[in-house]
Amino acid sequence: MHARTRTWLGFVVAAGLLLMASSRLALFEPLENAVLVVVAPVESGLRDATRPVADFVNNLTDINRFSNENQSLREENERLTVENARLLEVERENQQLRQLVDIRQPLPEEIFVAADVFASEPSNIEDAIAINRGRADGLQVGMMVVTRQGSLVGTVSRVLRDVAWVTLITDPDSAVSARIQESRAQGVVVGAADGTLTMEFVQETADVKEGDLVLTSGIGGRHPPGELIGQVVEVEGAAQELFQSVRVQPLADLSRLEAVLVLASFLPQDTLEP
Amino acid sequence: MSIAVGLLVIVVAAVAQVSVLPAFSIFGAQPNLLIVLLVAWMTVRGQPETLLLIPAAGFAQGLLDSQPLGLALLALAPLVLMTEVRELRLVKSDLLPAVVLTALATLAYEGIVLLTLAVTGARLDWLASLVDVLVPAVIANVLLLLPVYGLVQLASLDLRRRQAF
Repeated sequence: MHARTRTWLGFVVAAGLLLMASSRLALFEPLENAVLVVVAPVESGLRDATRPVADFVNNLTDINRFSNENQSLREENERLTVENARLLEVERENQQLRQLVDIRQPLPEEIFVAADVFASEPSNIEDAIAINRGRADGLQVGMMVVTRQGSLVGTVSRVLRDVAWVTLITDPDSAVSARIQESRAQGVVVGAADGTLTMEFVQETADVKEGDLVLTSGIGGRHPPGELIGQVVEVEGAAQELFQSVRVQPLADLSRLEAVLVLASFLPQDTLEP
Repeated sequence: MSIAVGLLVIVVAAVAQVSVLPAFSIFGAQPNLLIVLLVAWMTVRGQPETLLLIPAAGFAQGLLDSQPLGLALLALAPLVLMTEVRELRLVKSDLLPAVVLTALATLAYEGIVLLTLAVTGARLDWLASLVDVLVPAVIANVLLLLPVYGLVQLASLDLRRRQAF
């Protein structure tokens, strides 16, 4: 190997390690923020301009018109399912409150911050999107993010001054405490490298069927309870196993998000000061 | 002149990587334009230019993605070694080594990112990552190499012609 290559390799590795260390101290945060703010409109424009081409390439067997129609129907279905899920939850809550008339706990008012999606994480290992709202808009790490229709998208994982990164629920490192709406069976919805969702730790005896809605359970205090995650599409479980494996499909198409809402009025319990 | 063009192309590719490429999925993986571009540049334009473009690509990618700044640069470091392999010119064909180097560079890039995530405490399923990420990513990048290689070769011819005049 030539000395030049050796030196250059050493330089690149050293620079990479130094930059990683400096990013822990947020030394380059102003630069990263400034670059993302400048390129955000360009990236948004490019995303919009190339969307039809991407649709065509990804659905070579479909005609783009059907794809758009399917997308709008899916959004409408998502909105109605969220509404239905909320009403069922309210009904159930009302029944419980009627039984416990002495306990009254006012629900905090929900405050949402609307944001546009302008970029996605390029790595195949992580699933994240960039939004054009940041610390200056009141965003904090751990805040929950939902679609305009109201189903769960993910959690704010990194906040700069004017932009933020949201880790999607399909990210392999994502885990959300969840329950099946009908049977109230509890579990944890985790993402996977192939972008799918699985609900783990669902007891083998629990009644779970295709089409059931999956909601956040609120256990652990990282998400408020009752937020819609998705719908059960497959249930697997052998008699000798302790848990069922439940495949869940997010209601929204997370690869085509254009705008999201950040729930600014709820912070996970582990981020709150004692 | 060609370095300036190369840097401009790298910046455009880095922006496209986070805005356009995520919408395209080949066998469930999104191709990495920067890796493909650097390998094509290395094959067509040679080692000296590519050595300068590698850190520029890593830094540009780091500024635009959600990973810690420096991780993309670290993950692209094996490409420096690959420029040396390319200079050996073991076979007459240019495209064949480019395909092999793209596959190796992709494995190295995704492998380093996986390893760093594991070290920083991320929950990883190694087998699933291999099957669902590494293999599809290699195929996606090799497929993207063909048009990118052609474009870089055309641009390089044009650049040489302009420099000749």
